[in-house]
Amino acid sequence: MSEVIVVTSGKGGVGKTTTSANVGTGLAKLDKKVVLIDTDIGLRNLDVVMGLENRIVYNLVDVVEGNCRAKQAMIKDKRYPNLYLLPSAQTRDKTSVTPEQMKKLVEELKEEFDYIILDCPAGIEQGFKNAIAGADRALIVTTPEVSAIRDADRIIGLLEANEMKKIDLIVNRIRMDMVKKGDMMSIEDVLEILAIDLIGAVPDDENIVIATNQGEPLVGNNTLPGQAYMNICKRIIGEEVPMLDLAGSNGFFAKIGKLFKKN
Amino acid sequence: MKNSVVVKGNKYGIVLSIKEDALIEDIKIEIADKIKEASKFFKNASSAISFEGKRLSDDEKQQIIEIISENSDLNIVCIVDDERKEEFKNAIETKPEISTEAMIANVTGGQFYRGTLRSGQVLESESSVVILGDVNPGAKILSGGNVVVLGSLKGTVYAGLSGDEAAFVVALDMWPSQIRIGDIIARSGDKPKKHSKPETKIAYVEDGNIYIESFSKEVRKDIKL
Repeated sequence: MSEVIVVTSGKGGVGKTTTSANVGTGLAKLDKKVVLIDTDIGLRNLDVVMGLENRIVYNLVDVVEGNCRAKQAMIKDKRYPNLYLLPSAQTRDKTSVTPEQMKKLVEELKEEFDYIILDCPAGIEQGFKNAIAGADRALIVTTPEVSAIRDADRIIGLLEANEMKKIDLIVNRIRMDMVKKGDMMSIEDVLEILAIDLIGAVPDDENIVIATNQGEPLVGNNTLPGQAYMNICKRIIGEEVPMLDLAGSNGFFAKIGKLFKKN
Repeated sequence: MKNSVVVKGNKYGIVLSIKEDALIEDIKIEIADKIKEASKFFKNASSAISFEGKRLSDDEKQQIIEIISENSDLNIVCIVDDERKEEFKNAIETKPEISTEAMIANVTGGQFYRGTLRSGQVLESESSVVILGDVNPGAKILSGGNVVVLGSLKGTVYAGLSGDEAAFVVALDMWPSQIRIGDIIARSGDKPKKHSKPETKIAYVEDGNIYIESFSKEVRKDIKL
């Protein structure tokens, strides 16, 4: 049973690409065969976050236009042999692909992969329509900011109108210290407005920036966001995982305290 | 070429208001899009259809109806043309074998919507509207009558669209970004308030101002239907 998941948000800069990279890598770590498709034609960067930019020969538009076969364009990840990336084209635009073509491509890839992750561009135009065309379920990424939530709400409305079967929410970049002070919306506040299922929350963490710049997704390592992303992956494959305590183990002194407890 | 078509509803059925200068091909594409968006709302209802604005040939009308049935479960029973509109209205209103429940619905002129209205979604109705769900920020309700929200109201709401200042808005949790009743507009404060406990409130017009207050017994007495 393969599943096609679109990662989308409406607003830009909330962490769609980071989430795609980490969820894709995480699922590969869980021994699933995964392909990541970057549908942001003209502004590709999933390849950069994955650290695979230098391996690109063919891209999504080449596949759709029949210049090459899908197999030729897919890049095998340098860490996980069961993870592939289908990069986007940098010199074209969103109109180079139609939703029907995306549907066909995804159907073809379904035969070979357990999970197909589509990294959606920001906005609700052609690029968005292409990305959601073949998807079975959606992961909505939002940050606890009114602007991001407003756009996520709009996206959820559009997905519901398109009869998306399953829609889950990821609250990204949450800062528990600010939530405690009442300066940031809590996960509960976000859920009250969006009213969809929460599949995970990822804390704001400098390790994400480091990982992104190095092209090494941090999913599964011992940082807090690494754990959060791994939990999301486990929930995607149907495991029941309790929510991570983002407040408790955050901060330098808490970590030191933990070290002492272990000894 | 966007917004050359507006899909409206009245109690006689669906009205497609089409711009005079729109091209038939654009119209078709836009109708397909809009009907698809609204298909969840219409479900498998049976309805009459009428056209406003641009004159269409019978053939074009037929094509549009085909597009509608391809993109939704909506069952178009008949086309009401301009000449016979009055006749049709009278026929419906004086229909003798109408059931009691339908009578009540007709007298109060209500329409129900179940689900959350999300940012960018617009619910438009010539009659009163009852929302069984939330109205999120960025969503909009346009109603010719009253609006009742059995959930939290955070979006924009226009009641009494045709200028009826006796219209009112009730919500279980009242935080609208803007309310318009008749021709009077009120908006929320510029500083976001801390969210207090939800309380059922009513918005109504008195002396040219919109007042929002608790849905108390005293207020309820003054409601005119």
